[in-house]
Amino acid sequence: MKHISKHLPHYISLGIILVSGIVGFWIFQFDRLFQASVAVSVAVAYVVWGIVHHSIHDDLHAAVVIEYLLVASLGLIIVFSLIFRA
Amino acid sequence: MKLARTITHLFLPNESNNLKAKILHSKGLLAIKVFFLLFQVVITFSPLNPISRILGYAANISPQEVIVLTNEKRAESGLPPLVENPTLSQAALAKGADMINKNYWAHVSPDGTQPWAFFIGAGYRYRYAGENLARDFSNPSSAVNAWMASPSHRDNMLSPKYKEIGIGVIEGDLNGIDTTIIVQFFGTNYSDTIPVQPIAQAPISTPIPTNTPIITPNPTFIPTPTSEVKLVNVSSEERSSQVLVSPFTTTKEVSIAVVGLLLFVLILDAIFTSRRRITRIGGRTFAHLSFLGMILAIVLILKAGQIL
Repeated sequence: MKHISKHLPHYISLGIILVSGIVGFWIFQFDRLFQASVAVSVAVAYVVWGIVHHSIHDDLHAAVVIEYLLVASLGLIIVFSLIFRA
Repeated sequence: MKLARTITHLFLPNESNNLKAKILHSKGLLAIKVFFLLFQVVITFSPLNPISRILGYAANISPQEVIVLTNEKRAESGLPPLVENPTLSQAALAKGADMINKNYWAHVSPDGTQPWAFFIGAGYRYRYAGENLARDFSNPSSAVNAWMASPSHRDNMLSPKYKEIGIGVIEGDLNGIDTTIIVQFFGTNYSDTIPVQPIAQAPISTPIPTNTPIITPNPTFIPTPTSEVKLVNVSSEERSSQVLVSPFTTTKEVSIAVVGLLLFVLILDAIFTSRRRITRIGGRTFAHLSFLGMILAIVLILKAGQIL
């Protein structure tokens, strides 16, 4: 929590990215193409956020980037499997 | 004892997993991804698998309820209710059967047949005609709400030009998926719009002026149901006995379980690392928690069903 409050602007920007994703899905509930675009955009933004955040903290390593990529791609697979099955 | 050690190794940070739950390691996340993809392959492409054979969409759709709900929406907008017309329902059912038989999901069939051809084919002479389509909805209310959320479909449902309605609900295999299609036909009979001539007056020889365009059907082809077409509405008893497992619902449940498990492990990880003041190279737990929280919210928001 100390880390979060210390770097509040970072986490506020992350929050805005993620809330935009939820709002986009809520508004365009039956627009598959838009939902897919939102999912990809949020996943990419999340990975970029991770890289920028760790880069600023001087603890950016390949393992960290891979971890963000894996989490983002897992989220993307889950969302895509539901969008194109709905 | 061994099981407890395995569970601890997988889900709790300790010395055996380098102070990070094993499923949060790159290999663990990759394994979850592979599991999820394999699960999708099994339920999509394996026709011989006993699980996929029973997959299908629940057909708990009553045409009457669709009409009632549509009229409720019209009443909320101060519009008169639409009257059910059996000929329109027959036409809607023929359209649904055509989609199943020719394996398409569109207003216009692959051979170019317009929706209006089904009106004429059933013997309905229309002045105005409209069509809304829905598939894979588990209940009539979700389908009607989805139409209302789309401006073009909403315009059809709330158009004062239409006086009659016909609903066709049909089940079948569309692109390899058991599905339930709802066809909503709107119409105004041609005779309804011709003013009655007063007996004492001379007949008007000029054509009736029209301010709005009349949609004309494609004159080259009038579809007729073939012997393969199921033109019988499924009874509610049959429907209730045919409620099967939905691929969408199954995927949604598995997604919730996978994301829920990861969130749970991440929360445990955050508590342990915070209490033991563990510092390690890796992504921010709070960031992963937020991202997966968003994924969970999206999974919960997403609903089955498509409209056209």
